[in-house]
Amino acid sequence: LKDDAKKSPVRTSQNAPTPFQILYFKYATAISTIPSSTSILTTALILTMSLSLQPGGSSTRAPPTGTLSAPGNAVTTRPITTGTSVLGIKYRDGVMLAADTLCSYGSLAKYKNARRLLPVNSRTLIGGSGEYSDLQAIDDLLRRNALEDRCTADSLYEEENDAEDCAKEVWSYLRAVMYNRRSKMNPLWNDIVVAGFRQNDDGSTSEEPFLGIVDKIGTAYEDDILATGFGGYIALPLMREKYRPDMEEGEARALLEDSLRILFYRDCRALNRVQIAKVTRDGGVLVSDPYELDTYWDFKGFVTNKGEMGTDGGW
Amino acid sequence: SDRGMEKRNQTPTSPNPHATTMTSFLSATAAVRSRNGEKCLPIHNSEGGATISVSFDGQNLAIGTGKYPTASYHDDVGIDHGITQAPWERRFSPYEFNGGTTLAISGKDYAVVAADTRLSSGYEILSRNISKLHPLTEKCVLGSAGCKTDVDQLRSVLDIKMKVYAHNHRKPMATPSVAQMLGNTLYYKRFFPYYAFNVLAGVDSEGKGAVYSYDAIGSFERTPFSASGSGQSFLIPLMDNVISHKNRLDEKRDLEAEEVVEIVKDAFITAGERDIYTGDAVEIMIIRSDGIQKELFQLKAD
Repeated sequence: LKDDAKKSPVRTSQNAPTPFQILYFKYATAISTIPSSTSILTTALILTMSLSLQPGGSSTRAPPTGTLSAPGNAVTTRPITTGTSVLGIKYRDGVMLAADTLCSYGSLAKYKNARRLLPVNSRTLIGGSGEYSDLQAIDDLLRRNALEDRCTADSLYEEENDAEDCAKEVWSYLRAVMYNRRSKMNPLWNDIVVAGFRQNDDGSTSEEPFLGIVDKIGTAYEDDILATGFGGYIALPLMREKYRPDMEEGEARALLEDSLRILFYRDCRALNRVQIAKVTRDGGVLVSDPYELDTYWDFKGFVTNKGEMGTDGGW
Repeated sequence: SDRGMEKRNQTPTSPNPHATTMTSFLSATAAVRSRNGEKCLPIHNSEGGATISVSFDGQNLAIGTGKYPTASYHDDVGIDHGITQAPWERRFSPYEFNGGTTLAISGKDYAVVAADTRLSSGYEILSRNISKLHPLTEKCVLGSAGCKTDVDQLRSVLDIKMKVYAHNHRKPMATPSVAQMLGNTLYYKRFFPYYAFNVLAGVDSEGKGAVYSYDAIGSFERTPFSASGSGQSFLIPLMDNVISHKNRLDEKRDLEAEEVVEIVKDAFITAGERDIYTGDAVEIMIIRSDGIQKELFQLKAD
């Protein structure tokens, strides 16, 4: 332990120490500096405090003092410019995603025409919520991969080649990327929905639609209906109620629009300017231009002051 | 001249500011702990979650003085919101508890393993049909609850290791070997653990049922039954009575696989009643030397 402490006195955040490694290192320092009993006690006390095994993991523990990270190699600690919910639903012809076009800067509605539904290649679509810059980085990464696939494929013509990653491959790859970043304690702060089709063994696009999600620590699962963020609380129960496996495109779109409208009523960081995108077997990926949703504010519940209703009131 | 000598020979009356009465870390904590049971630095969260602010200015150890209260307690969730303790910045946590319960029971020539199919995050249900069981060979199944991303990674790592073994030894791994390998794989990440609570169930080379229990860092043991995850506290006492026949006066007898499956279903109904993270459905597998049988049993979706 003494040797370890002498060998690497400074750590950069490229290999940023995890809380466990920090404890280990502090223990090493404590032992190696025996002559100075002051520093032992301070280090020891800090050590004891961080050793208390409170539930909730490192997020409820005080940040270890003296964390050694060189400036300029910072890790993500919180999202700054954020997008809110993304909704996804499977229907008869394929998969449909919906999201609004707002990027909030805390409570400021800063960018009202941001694109959060992004095509990756001719048969995969992603939608991202959370930190917008990380979403752009993910989009860059996936499009770079798609370009390399196209350039190194057997044929340059899109119709002939099946080299492009199908949605399930993109989802698995993204899961590995997110897990890798979280293991370095520097996550990409996003929930990404991946939509498209599965791939048959021979590489051709399958008939079966695929809808999956990856979150910022790499939790990955698939389902028929998905929503990120606030959508999980407000839109998902409504979608689960109305969902049928063989919905027509119009029905699916109406369901998504209604969900987005209700999210606009109830989510402070949502907007009524929205985008819908779909992936179909024959038509590939289509992303709509942003458009405004009509909203109705004359519901009695919105207009009447609840305090007047004679019961215990409320807001 | 003389005065100078005198001064130099004089022993300083004031104590050296860098010396303390504590001569070791152990005696420091002992001194602290000896004062009134409340004013202690916590060693483990079994001590009621009390924490305390401590400051040391090079000479004096000050406990609980200043603006922060002493011996304050967390609420059950462990998140204080800066009410009783000094506020601190919430940091990114690489772990998340996704819930779930797994149960495995071994028999004479079979093993039964079951897990619920709910995936949760906080108070939200993310999905109602996610499998927590993963067959590693034809004779052995791994059930894991905990943090799903770590569980998925653990499974990928194990699958690769099993493939390499099969290539090198020209046969699939035997269940006790899988058990050891899983323990080693978990301990490999001792200082950034896989947040996975595992049970391994299968039949050994003699055809007898084998169940192994694990903790998050790989200590394991072959046991007659094993339950892990959020609902383990509800299942283990029930299994102690019904499977291990503890505190019963009637005679113990060997149970058939079908009887054990019925016990498992009842057990999960019980756990699902009181544990919010357990519910939706139970996936049950019966492992015998000649193969694996599967069943999906619906639970309450509340």
